[in-house]
Amino acid sequence: MSEYTVLGKSVPRVDALEKVTGAAQYGGDVHLPGMLHGKFIRSKHAHAKILNIDTSEAEKLPGVRAIITQDDVESGRRVFATDKVLYLGEPIAAVAATDPDIAEEAADLVKIEYEVLPAVQDVMEAIQPDAPRLHSDDTKDGPARRVFRTELRKLERDDSQDHSARIAELNGQLEELADEVYYNVSAETHSNAGDVEQGFAESDLVVEDTYVIPRVHQTYMEPHVSVADVESTGKVTVWASTQGPFAIRSGIAGTLGIPLNQINVIATTMGGGFGGRFGVALTHVPAVLLSQKTGRPVKIQMTREEEFTDGRPAPGCVIKLKTGVKNDGTILAREGLAFWDSGSVSGASIGSTIRLRGVYKFPHLKVDAYGVYTNKSGTAAYRAPGTPQVAFAGESQLDDIARKLNLDPVEFRLKNMRVEGDPVPAGPNEPKVGYKETLQAVADAVDWKNRTKEPNQGWGVAIGDWTNGCGPGGMFVSIHEDGSARIFHGSMDITGTDTALAQIVAEILTLPYDEVTISRGDTNSAPYATGSGGSVVTFTMGNTAKLAAEDTRRRLLELAAERLNTDVDSLELKDGQVSTIVADPPKSIGFGELAAYSLSTTGGPIVGKGSFARKPSTPALAAQIAKVEIDPETGRIKVLKMASSQDVGFAINPMAVEGQIEGGTVQGYAWATMEEMQYDEGGNVNPGFVDYRVPTTADLPTVQSVIVEVEAPDGPFGAKGVGEPPITPTLATMANAVADAVDIRITELPMKPEKVVDALHGNGK
Amino acid sequence: MKKHPVSLTVNTDTYDLLIEPRKTLLATLRDTIGLTGTKEGCSTGDCGACTVIVDGKAVTSCMMLGVSANGKEITTIEGLASRDQLHPIQQAFMDKGGYQCGFCTPGFIVASKAFLDENPNATEAEIRYALGNNICRCTGYTKIIEAVMSAAEVMRNS
Repeated sequence: MSEYTVLGKSVPRVDALEKVTGAAQYGGDVHLPGMLHGKFIRSKHAHAKILNIDTSEAEKLPGVRAIITQDDVESGRRVFATDKVLYLGEPIAAVAATDPDIAEEAADLVKIEYEVLPAVQDVMEAIQPDAPRLHSDDTKDGPARRVFRTELRKLERDDSQDHSARIAELNGQLEELADEVYYNVSAETHSNAGDVEQGFAESDLVVEDTYVIPRVHQTYMEPHVSVADVESTGKVTVWASTQGPFAIRSGIAGTLGIPLNQINVIATTMGGGFGGRFGVALTHVPAVLLSQKTGRPVKIQMTREEEFTDGRPAPGCVIKLKTGVKNDGTILAREGLAFWDSGSVSGASIGSTIRLRGVYKFPHLKVDAYGVYTNKSGTAAYRAPGTPQVAFAGESQLDDIARKLNLDPVEFRLKNMRVEGDPVPAGPNEPKVGYKETLQAVADAVDWKNRTKEPNQGWGVAIGDWTNGCGPGGMFVSIHEDGSARIFHGSMDITGTDTALAQIVAEILTLPYDEVTISRGDTNSAPYATGSGGSVVTFTMGNTAKLAAEDTRRRLLELAAERLNTDVDSLELKDGQVSTIVADPPKSIGFGELAAYSLSTTGGPIVGKGSFARKPSTPALAAQIAKVEIDPETGRIKVLKMASSQDVGFAINPMAVEGQIEGGTVQGYAWATMEEMQYDEGGNVNPGFVDYRVPTTADLPTVQSVIVEVEAPDGPFGAKGVGEPPITPTLATMANAVADAVDIRITELPMKPEKVVDALHGNGK
Repeated sequence: MKKHPVSLTVNTDTYDLLIEPRKTLLATLRDTIGLTGTKEGCSTGDCGACTVIVDGKAVTSCMMLGVSANGKEITTIEGLASRDQLHPIQQAFMDKGGYQCGFCTPGFIVASKAFLDENPNATEAEIRYALGNNICRCTGYTKIIEAVMSAAEVMRNS
């Protein structure tokens, strides 16, 4: 994209200096005078009745300022467990003390009497009729069925028109679900396109398997933290490490009944999020409650152990999957049934189950999904929530089919991929997409057709699809008297979005990149911005930045036309000045002079505004190829090569885009081979980095990232969101490579060495 | 809890402190001295975010008591850059995009310095092994390794 001067360049990030010098201020770095430290008193059982809470000994400890329980939550909204705990580590009370060690000592002195109840951790056990039940209100009549029945009752009572067709349809749906009776169900979804039974009947080959994907933790490096300061006037200030400061503001307001305009959320630099840093419950609300009670600022910082027991990780799931194809490799039908482990609260990523359709032409598709309660903490988003899990099932099964039909796995996928205009099962037709280009690009990068391997080596390919989100956002751009520009906004930069915004504004205003600076406001001073999740920021705020910069340009041109006694149409922005397009005689005026002049005009200072709510996003594909070698003695999987391509629309900052591809790919690799939150009936048993292994520099060679650019019509300069897609294929990429290496299909992750060895022996090798 | 006198040098400044014996070196640096560049990621010595250099050796400061640092010389991330110049490792992390959220970055840079000071001619495999105690969750390590390799070359040539 050579027509740009700043866009498409790997400029250093705007926050580079503060990050490499240790100057960046994260949530835990906030220290206020008189600040107290909060700690939680947590459940020691996975499922138990609380019989009594005795805080008397703890209160006597010098330095303790307050101990709160649910009785202190005036709004009545559930913050702490009261009559029953549903998982190990669930907060029952919180203490504030003058020192974190005193707070911890006090927490240990609080005595809780329990009546321990049987717990259930496995989703397939939890759906059985004899399983322990977590919530008294859950019935076998899941949410979807409740919706159907409510509509049915309403229609049956309404005589004003003929509803018989709809009534028959609803009765049909209920009848179809009648045999599917599951317990501890928190949510359900059902999608249908074509007729899968017909599709399987017409298939030459039908493959069926069950896939098990573990619960994993986002493992952002900075544990949850907040500092709350409630003034005597009732004003609430919260320093929060969060992906969504505006969501935290409304969350605190909603939970505690505090007027929104009394709450200011100051979002600090954030040590990673990956989707796990949106919720208000973990530290923000309890810190506000403790500050209300003590009249002092209170910091609550979770430990890593607390992150594992009381964080909101990505849900594990069990997927039963069946796919039918013709002998020539034409895919006909797929049927999927998924049970998502949503822990003790509804909300696992069950909506993503429909992504079992991948980017293939499925004439017949049926997908059913259930969220299931178990005695674990609730779940949250993790990088393309739900998609790595379903892509693992879908792409593993396609690999088996390619093997059985002796088809090249890349050609087989290319043959069945959708292109622009193709119908999407249970969705709108495809817009302009780059699926085939992206898969072809990664195949070319590793010279797929000429690949070679030694014994115990194998090649695996897989893809994953995702569509970035878009949300509302506002922004201002002003020009200073020195001619530089400043962006004012309120969206969180996790890993480079501020840099993209500065590049966009610099490009439009023809300024050097380093003459555009950024101020992130708190929720009191910045315009609303959607949360930084769903790969939304570059897409959303990039469009906002474009609008704000264009508005700034319009004002600069108007002011210059006044000063140069000419009309706006004869002027252009060039090299940080406004100049006449036809140089006869050449006239120009600097931004700084215009900014100074603007201060005495009726229009006032130069402030460009950009604000919008929604634009259509375009789906993006990530495709990966790995070459691995298995040690048959130890079962260790060594990655010899990992190539990862992604359609990013347009890479505003290629270095930052590569960083996303590399990071996401390694997270997927870790989910495939080592990460797994483990539970026994008593709760999580691996709450630390010794037993919950994440990759280090010693684990993987360099990731080869391949950037594909198929323009997104509504993205800023064609850009798509880049953060989430790269994790989506890797679980299957790794499993397919293992299958190619040792002819073993592992359907239950992670592929730890012992599992690989067991599989090798079980297979008689 | 009774406090103990501790005298230590951090980035060329000497501090005479009274600290509780249960406070870690990490807590001493962050809460008592106020140098918050060193981060707390796990409190169990497993993630490396709190790495500092104690008498020339990389140490996870969450695993060392403040009182044990009595008489020691400590270098933190704040002590690497001179007034007008970044340390070559800091410069390389900037130029190569060796960080994303930045939370693990001080630990990585400090651990890299301790290692490269002792092993200026280290190979990529040796660097990968040496940095294996530091966890980064954003980058996938590709650009971190590029940054450390390129910094090593700059340091060798200067």
